[in-house]
Amino acid sequence: MSKPKVGIFGLTGCGGCQLEILNLEDQLLDLFAAIDIVHFTEAITEHSDNYDIALIEGSVATKHDLERLEHISKIAKVIVSIGACSGIGGVNCLKNLYGVEKAKELVYGDKKEWIDAIETKPIDEYVKVDYYIRGCPPNRSEIVDVIRSLIVGKIPEIPNYPVCVECKRLGNTCMYDLGKTCMGVVSRAGCGARCPSAKSGCEACRGFIDDPNVNAQKDLLAKYNLKIEDIMGMFNLYNACKKTDRKTI
Amino acid sequence: MLYKVLKKGSYDLFLAKLIADFEFIGPVKKDKATHDFKKISDIRKLDVNYKRTTIAPAKKILYPSTETLLQYEINEDIEMSVDYEAGEKILFGIDACDVNGLNFLDRFFSDEMIDEPYFSKRRKLTVIGLDRMPSDTNFSLSLGKEYAKDGFDLFLTDLNNRYFVRVGSEKGNDILTKYADVSDAGEDDFKDYNKFMDTYRKSFKLKADINNLYDNYELIYNNKDFWNRVAKDCYSCGSCCLVCPTCFCFNVRDDMELNLKKGAKTREWDSCMIPEYGLVAGGHNFRPDKENRLKQRYRCKLKTFIDRFGTYSCVGCGRCIEACLAKINIAEDINAVKKEVSV
Repeated sequence: MSKPKVGIFGLTGCGGCQLEILNLEDQLLDLFAAIDIVHFTEAITEHSDNYDIALIEGSVATKHDLERLEHISKIAKVIVSIGACSGIGGVNCLKNLYGVEKAKELVYGDKKEWIDAIETKPIDEYVKVDYYIRGCPPNRSEIVDVIRSLIVGKIPEIPNYPVCVECKRLGNTCMYDLGKTCMGVVSRAGCGARCPSAKSGCEACRGFIDDPNVNAQKDLLAKYNLKIEDIMGMFNLYNACKKTDRKTI
Repeated sequence: MLYKVLKKGSYDLFLAKLIADFEFIGPVKKDKATHDFKKISDIRKLDVNYKRTTIAPAKKILYPSTETLLQYEINEDIEMSVDYEAGEKILFGIDACDVNGLNFLDRFFSDEMIDEPYFSKRRKLTVIGLDRMPSDTNFSLSLGKEYAKDGFDLFLTDLNNRYFVRVGSEKGNDILTKYADVSDAGEDDFKDYNKFMDTYRKSFKLKADINNLYDNYELIYNNKDFWNRVAKDCYSCGSCCLVCPTCFCFNVRDDMELNLKKGAKTREWDSCMIPEYGLVAGGHNFRPDKENRLKQRYRCKLKTFIDRFGTYSCVGCGRCIEACLAKINIAEDINAVKKEVSV
């Protein structure tokens, strides 16, 4: 069996997802033995357009991003989204709340015409995504799990249950018992309840579960005397691109 | 059953000796208002005066939330190895309904086969129970689970100036003889113990009316309006199951290393409230709606195991009520649905 050829690409984002792949450290050699990496924006100078699988980080926030994404999607047989920006739009979507022109003006002032920014969107608004590796940043073991599943031809098991499950498995005290706000009850797990374990409420960086009870969540936050701005802020931090979720508030 | 009395003054010394000689697990304060069963090496960390339930039930000691069942290595043959951690442990300060929770799991994990990962730990666990006043969400009295008849090695009841000790096993008796200064219980001790139990049973605030529940269960089960209403608030977060002392469902994961040579099978707590629970190969889901999942969970707690084992699988500890952010309350729901179908 020949090794699958893989390209690792970065659109608009912080580059942290690609860094997490490099951070695999003791598993890197096994990774290189299992797949043939022909493009790696953050790590390799050489470039090839001959790949089967594309791992794409970052959201589409510029015209240039869109051109690159379209180019990649013409070549790759399998597209894997890595991280919050790519999968759900992530923090880049906050720009959309201001409107593109206003945001450009706020940040770049009289140089705003130099910038080719467009409304930020997750990549699946433009291309069909086969698998998602969630999170900001993604879980390293999940990156390995997805790649391994692709090699052996298995559907990767990405959790579609809320963070509460992982908190309860870990025996964490509920953030609401600590007087904190937490999105964990409607947010997709797989992170190992990283933030609540550090006594910080979940901010839904992996997006929402498929069928979140968003209206009940609204009631819950209201019950704890939070202002609507706090609730909106928590919903929007990573998920402002999800128009459907925004509407329910 | 043997009945003994332990003087208040020798209680601390008794525990200190146990802590010195055994891996000792007991309730410790975790956060603001929460407690958890944890390993203790300093008696000052032990805090039996917890008002709510502990976050995780004691089952985690025997049935951890994540546990490796099997490791394998593929060479010419497939080599498999198992390693179930099993040191002698003492679990102290668990209340009566939690002991009944362990009793249920003992029965479940030995029903059709012996679950070795569970029993390798169970055989080496000494259970020392301790009566405590019911928390606000505890309704174990309604289910007859407020008193533990068996399933412990020792069970202590605080009678202010002394402890009434029920000896439930030979192991318990050996420990008591070796580590504590006790005397046989006399008439006054029984009298005070009974007085305590009366007060204790009168202290339950939350009650579930289970009269005629079993015979009318199908009627209740088929009352769609009721389940739809309760489920409207439900997040399907699975917390109720994951904090339950009797929920036993698990998922088994296969994890292989990238070299495809080594791997492990791991089981982790699952929950029937999660949509994926009913998902089978081919993509069909038996319970895609949360109202169906919710009523199925209630049925498992209140009916299924009456048929299978002759007992409720709910012990009324109240953890699910405390854990539910949507404030779904199984005891109140029992009362409400019974009223609705007039039974």
